[in-house]
Amino acid sequence: MIDHILSILIFFPALAAMLGFIIHKDSIRAYGVAVATIEFALSLWLWFAFDSNASGMQFMEQLPLVPAFGINYILGVDGISLFIIILASFFTMIGIASLTDTKNEKNMIVTLLFLQMTMAGVFSALDAIVFYVFWELSLVPMLYIIGAWGGPLRIYASVKFFLYTFAGSLVMLVGMLFMAYLYYQATGAWSFSILEWYRLILPESFQLWLFVAFFIGFAIKVPMFPFHTWLPYAHGQAPTIGSVILAAILLKMGTYAFIRFSLPMFPDASVFFMFPIAVLAIIMVIYTAMVAYAQEDIKQVVAYSSVSHMGIIILGTFALNVEGISGSIFLMIGHGLVSGALFLLVGVIYDRRHTKMMSEFGGLAHVMPRYATIFGLMLMASVGLPLTVNFVGEFLSLLGFYKQSHILTLLAGTAIIVGAIYMLAAYKKMFFGTVTNEKNANLKDVNRRELLALIPLSIITIWLGIYPKPVLDPINNSVESIVQLMHDKSTTSEAKSRIPNLVKNVETAKTSEQGAH
Amino acid sequence: MEIGLNHYLVLSTLLFAIGLIGVMRRKNLLLLFFATEILLNSVNIAFAAISHYYGDLTGQLFVFFVIAIAASEVAVGLGLLIVWHKRHGNIDLDNMSTMRG
Amino acid sequence: MELYLYLALFSPLAGSLFAGLFGASPRTKIAGLVPSLLLFVSFVSSTILLVYILSGGAKVHVEMMTWMATGDLYIPFGFVVDQVSVTMMMVVSLVSTVVHFYSIGYMDHDKGFNRFFSYLSAFVFSMMILVMSDNFAGLFIGWEGVGLCSWLLIGFWYHKESATWAANEAFIMNRIADLGMLIGIFLIYWNTGSLQYDQAFAAMNGLDKEVLTWMGIFLFIGAMGKSAQFPLHTWLADAMEGPTPVSALIHAATMVTAGVYLVVRANPLYDLIPHVGLFIASLGAFVALFAASMALVNRDMKRIIAYSTLSQLGYMFVAAGLGAYWVALFHLMAHAFFKALLFLGAGNVMHAMHDELDPFKMGGLRKVMKGTFVMMTLASVALAGIYPFAGFFSKDLILEVGFVEHHYIIYTVLLFTAGLTAFYSFRLVALIFHGEERYKLFGIHPHEAYKFMLVAMSPLLLLAIIAGSFKMTYFEMVTAVLPATEYHVHSAITYWIMTIGTQLFVILAIAFAYKKYANNKVKVPDGTSKMENRLCYKVLSNQYYIPYIYEEYLAKPYKELSTLFWKQIDMKVVDATVDGIAGIIYSSGEKTRVMQSGNLSTMLKWMVAGTIGLLSLAVVFGLAARYSGEIKTILSGLGV
Repeated sequence: MIDHILSILIFFPALAAMLGFIIHKDSIRAYGVAVATIEFALSLWLWFAFDSNASGMQFMEQLPLVPAFGINYILGVDGISLFIIILASFFTMIGIASLTDTKNEKNMIVTLLFLQMTMAGVFSALDAIVFYVFWELSLVPMLYIIGAWGGPLRIYASVKFFLYTFAGSLVMLVGMLFMAYLYYQATGAWSFSILEWYRLILPESFQLWLFVAFFIGFAIKVPMFPFHTWLPYAHGQAPTIGSVILAAILLKMGTYAFIRFSLPMFPDASVFFMFPIAVLAIIMVIYTAMVAYAQEDIKQVVAYSSVSHMGIIILGTFALNVEGISGSIFLMIGHGLVSGALFLLVGVIYDRRHTKMMSEFGGLAHVMPRYATIFGLMLMASVGLPLTVNFVGEFLSLLGFYKQSHILTLLAGTAIIVGAIYMLAAYKKMFFGTVTNEKNANLKDVNRRELLALIPLSIITIWLGIYPKPVLDPINNSVESIVQLMHDKSTTSEAKSRIPNLVKNVETAKTSEQGAH
Repeated sequence: MEIGLNHYLVLSTLLFAIGLIGVMRRKNLLLLFFATEILLNSVNIAFAAISHYYGDLTGQLFVFFVIAIAASEVAVGLGLLIVWHKRHGNIDLDNMSTMRG
Repeated sequence: MELYLYLALFSPLAGSLFAGLFGASPRTKIAGLVPSLLLFVSFVSSTILLVYILSGGAKVHVEMMTWMATGDLYIPFGFVVDQVSVTMMMVVSLVSTVVHFYSIGYMDHDKGFNRFFSYLSAFVFSMMILVMSDNFAGLFIGWEGVGLCSWLLIGFWYHKESATWAANEAFIMNRIADLGMLIGIFLIYWNTGSLQYDQAFAAMNGLDKEVLTWMGIFLFIGAMGKSAQFPLHTWLADAMEGPTPVSALIHAATMVTAGVYLVVRANPLYDLIPHVGLFIASLGAFVALFAASMALVNRDMKRIIAYSTLSQLGYMFVAAGLGAYWVALFHLMAHAFFKALLFLGAGNVMHAMHDELDPFKMGGLRKVMKGTFVMMTLASVALAGIYPFAGFFSKDLILEVGFVEHHYIIYTVLLFTAGLTAFYSFRLVALIFHGEERYKLFGIHPHEAYKFMLVAMSPLLLLAIIAGSFKMTYFEMVTAVLPATEYHVHSAITYWIMTIGTQLFVILAIAFAYKKYANNKVKVPDGTSKMENRLCYKVLSNQYYIPYIYEEYLAKPYKELSTLFWKQIDMKVVDATVDGIAGIIYSSGEKTRVMQSGNLSTMLKWMVAGTIGLLSLAVVFGLAARYSGEIKTILSGLGV
C-alpha cells in the first residue's frame, strides 16, 4: 500500500467525495471529518515512511497514459513537496471540522474533498501534463466555493479569479508543449516527464522564452505584482474556508512551481531574470504592505498581507542558493499556517457580527480575551517574530538573497517594518481601546469548535519556530540537489558564479592535488 | 485576331465579377439565384477552356457535374422560395433575419 | 554549573507560563508570588554562577539543540556564561526580582494582575536569552522577544488610546532598528561564515576594513533602536504610558541597555573600526546633552526620569565607543540600580498621588512619605555622581575616559551634562518632596506605599550606595574578556582638580535646583509666566518638535501614500488595466456580434470578404515559399 500512497492520497478523497453525494445530509459532517482525518493520517504516514536523508524523489509511481507522446502518469515526492501535501490535507481536515454557519453543507464538503484531490495531485505530479490537469482542476472547486458561498460580489470575484488564472496557465501550457517539442528534437522521443526535462540543457535564448511563458502562469497564481488584483476580490468574497485554503495552499502552487519547473529547467534564465523578479518582489512586499495599511476591512488586510509575504517567498526562491530556497519553502509552510489561521480568526468574528469592517470593532480584548490572545499570537507570527514559524522562513529567505544583492535585501527587509505597521494598526483598531459599539459588548469568546482548529495551528506555529529541524532537514537535502543540478546545468558564466557549487570542496581538493603534481 | 485561352479566362473573370457583385448587391432572392448561376457558369467557362487547352477531358467532366448540381440546387432553392413567398408574401432578403445573433 | 545556567534561564519562563495559566481568571496573589519566587531562583543561580566565575572558573558554554541548519548555515540554541554575560545576568535577575516583588504591591488593585506577571516574567526570559546567547541569531531572538514584551507592557492598559499608541510606536521604531541589526547579521554570516560569537570574531581579523565598517554600522543601528538613541529616541518617553514597574525594569535598567551590551559584546569588531567607535561616542555625547536638556523643563515625573535614562545611555555609548567597554558595562550596572530605584520611588509617589504625574502639583510630600523621600533623594545623589555613591565611580570614570583619550569636546559636553543631570534630578526631588503642599489644592490625600514595597526596594538602595566599591573586583573579572585598559589621568594634580571641580560643579547645580524649586513660592504653572513663553522653553518642552515632525512628515504622509496606493494605483491603475483588457475582449465580442445578423446578404458579403482574405493569404504564402531562401538570409541578418 505504501508504494501507491500518493495515488491513494489523490484519489481517496475524490472517491469519498463521490460517495458523499449519497450520504444523508445530517451525517455528512461526520463523514467529511472522518474522510479528511484519514487523508491527513495517510499524509502523516507518508512523512513517517519518507526517508529524510535521501534527496531524490520517493514513492514514485508510473503508468503510461499516451505513450506515443510520452505522457505518463508519474507521481513522486521529495522534501520540497512533502510538507505542502501534509499542510494541504491538514487544512482540509481542520477546515471541514471547523465549518460554521454554512448553508448547503453537503455540497461544500464534497467540493472541499475534490479540492483536496487536486491539491494532492498538483504537488505530487511529476509529469507536466498531469501537473497541468490538476493545476487547472483546482480552479473548479474554488470557483464553486467563491461563486456559491461568497459575498455579494461573488460572481464577479469568482469569474475574475477563474479567467485570470486560467489565462495565465494557458500561456504556461504553450510553454510546456514547446518544452516537450524541444525535448523531442533533442532526443527523438516525446516526453513530458519533469525529471527527464531536468536533464535537457537548453541554449540560453530558448530558456529565456520558455521561462517567460512559465513565469506568466506561475506569477498570476502567486500572485505577483502587478498580477495580484484578483486576490483581494477572491478573498473579500470567498467564505472563510475558501480564503483559508486559497491562502494556505493554492497560492503556494505558484511558488512551488517556480522551484519545481523554472529553477532547475532554466538556470541561466533564472539568473538572467533574477534582478527584475527581485525588484517585482520588493514592490510586492512594500507596495502591498502599504495598501494593506490603508484597508478598512480586516479580511482585506490579511489578504494584502498574504501578497506581501509571498514577495519574500519569491525573493528567497530567486536567491538561488540553498539558504534562500530552503527558507522560501519553509516560509511557504509558515505562511500557509499563519495566513490560514488569520483567515480562520477573521471568520470567527465575521460569524458573530457579519461584518469585517474594522471601524465596527474596538476594545474586543475586553470581551473576547482568548480570541485576542490567539489573534495576537498569529499577528506576531505574521510579523515574523523569532520563535514563530514565519521568522525561520523569512530570515533564511532574506539571508539567502543577501548573497546576491545587498541593497535589494535592505529594501526587502523593510517588510519587517511595514508588516509591523499594518498589523499592529489593525490589531489596535480591533482589540484595543474601549468597547464603543453596543453590538460588541456581549460577543461570545471563541467556542470549542473554533478552538479545535486554532489550538493546533497555534501549537504548530510555535513548535516549528523553535524546532524547525524535522521539516528543514528534508527540505535542505532536496534543495541541495536542485541547486547542484542548476549549477551543473548552467551554461553562462554569470549563472555559474551566481549559483553556488556545493561540491566545490571536492573539486578544489582535486585541483590542488593536480597542482601538486 | 485569334480567340485564345486568355480571352476565355478574361470572359470568365468578368462573368465571375458580375456574379459576385450580384450576390452582394441583390436583395431579391430570385435575382440572387440568377447571380449564383452566373458565378457557376463563369467557372464552367474557365473549366471548359482550360480543359480544351490541355486536351484533358477531366475539366469538361467537372463542368457537367457543376451543371447538374446547379440544376438541383436551383430546383430545391426555388421550391423553398415558393414556400417562403406563400408564407410571407415577399422574397426580400432583408426580411429573412430570424437567425440574427 | 550547567544546571544553574538552565535554572537561571528557564525559571522566568516557567514563571511566565504559570502566571499565564491564570491569565483569564480573576486576580490571585499566587499568580504574582510564584513568578517572583521563580525569579529569585534565577537570581540565586546567577549569583552562584557569578561566584563560580569570580573564583576563576572557566566560562560555561552549553549547546541545547539545533535551531536552524540549512546549507552552510548552522544556528544552535547555544548559551554562554562568561564574565560579561554573568554581569548582565546579575543586573537583570536582581532588578527584575526586586521589581517583581514590588509589583505585587503596586499592581494590587489592577484587574490585569495575573497577565502583568506573565508578561513581566516573559520579558525577563527574553532578556536572559539576549544576554546569554552565544550567537547573533540567539541574541536576535532575545532582542525581538524583549521588543514584544515591551509592546505588551507599554500597552498593558490597552483601553487607553495613548498607551496603545505608544506601544505601537515603540514596536515599530524598534523594528526599524532591527532591520539594521538583521542586515548586520547577514553581513557577518556571508563574510565570516558563522554567527557564533567566537568564530565570527575570530574570522573578522582577516576581513576588509570596509566590510567591517558596514557590519559595525548596521549592528549599531540595531543598538540605536533598543537604546533609544537619536533619531530613534521618541519612543522611550512615550513608553512611560506603561505601568511604573515596567518603566523601572524595561525602560531604565535592562532592555534599553541591550544596545550597550551589544556594542560591548561585539568589542572585537569595534576594536577594529575605531572610526565607527568615535561616531558612536559622538552620538552618545550628543544624546546625553540632548536628552538632559529636554528633562530640564518637562512637567511629567516619569518622562523626566526617562530622559535622564536616555542621557545616561548616551554616557554608556561614549564609553563603549571610545573602547572603554568595561567602563560602559560598569556604568550600565550602577545605572540599573539607582535608576530602577528612582522609578520605583516615582511609582510610590504616583500611587500616593492617584496617578498624578505633574511634580508641580505635588510638593512637601516628605512629611507623609519618609521612606520614599529618602530613597529617591539617595538615588538622585547617586545619579548626580556624588562621592561615594555608585554614580561617582562609574560616571566620573567615563569623563576621565573622554579626557584621557583626548576627546576634549566630548569631555566638555559630558561635564556640562553632568551639571544638567544634577539640576533636573534635584528639581524633581525638590518639587515633589519640598516646598508648599500644593497637592492640597487638588484634594488628594497621599499615603506611603506598603511596607514590603519599601523593603523590596531596599537592595537597590544598598547597591546604589555601595556599588562603587566593587569596581576593582569587577575590573579584574571582566577584563578577562574585555580589553583591560585602565584610564588614569597622568598627572595627579590634574586628576584632583578634575575630580574636585566636577564634584563642586555638580553640588552647585544641586544647590541651584534646591534654591529655585524647594521654596514656598513655587506655583503650579498655568502657561502665563515669562519663562514659559520663552522660545527655548517651548522648544525644549515640545521635545525639539521632533515627535511633531515625525507625526506630520512621516506618519501622516505614509498613511496618505498608503491610501493613494490603494484607491488610486491599485484600484484605478493595476486593477483597471486587468478589467480593461477583459472589457476590451468583451466589448469586441459585443461589437462583432452584429456580423452575425442573420441577414443573408450581409453574410454573403462577409463570405466574399473572407474569400478574398484567404486568397490573398494564399498568394502571400505562395510567394513566401517561393522566396524562402532570400527571406531566411534577411531574417538571420536581423538576428531573429
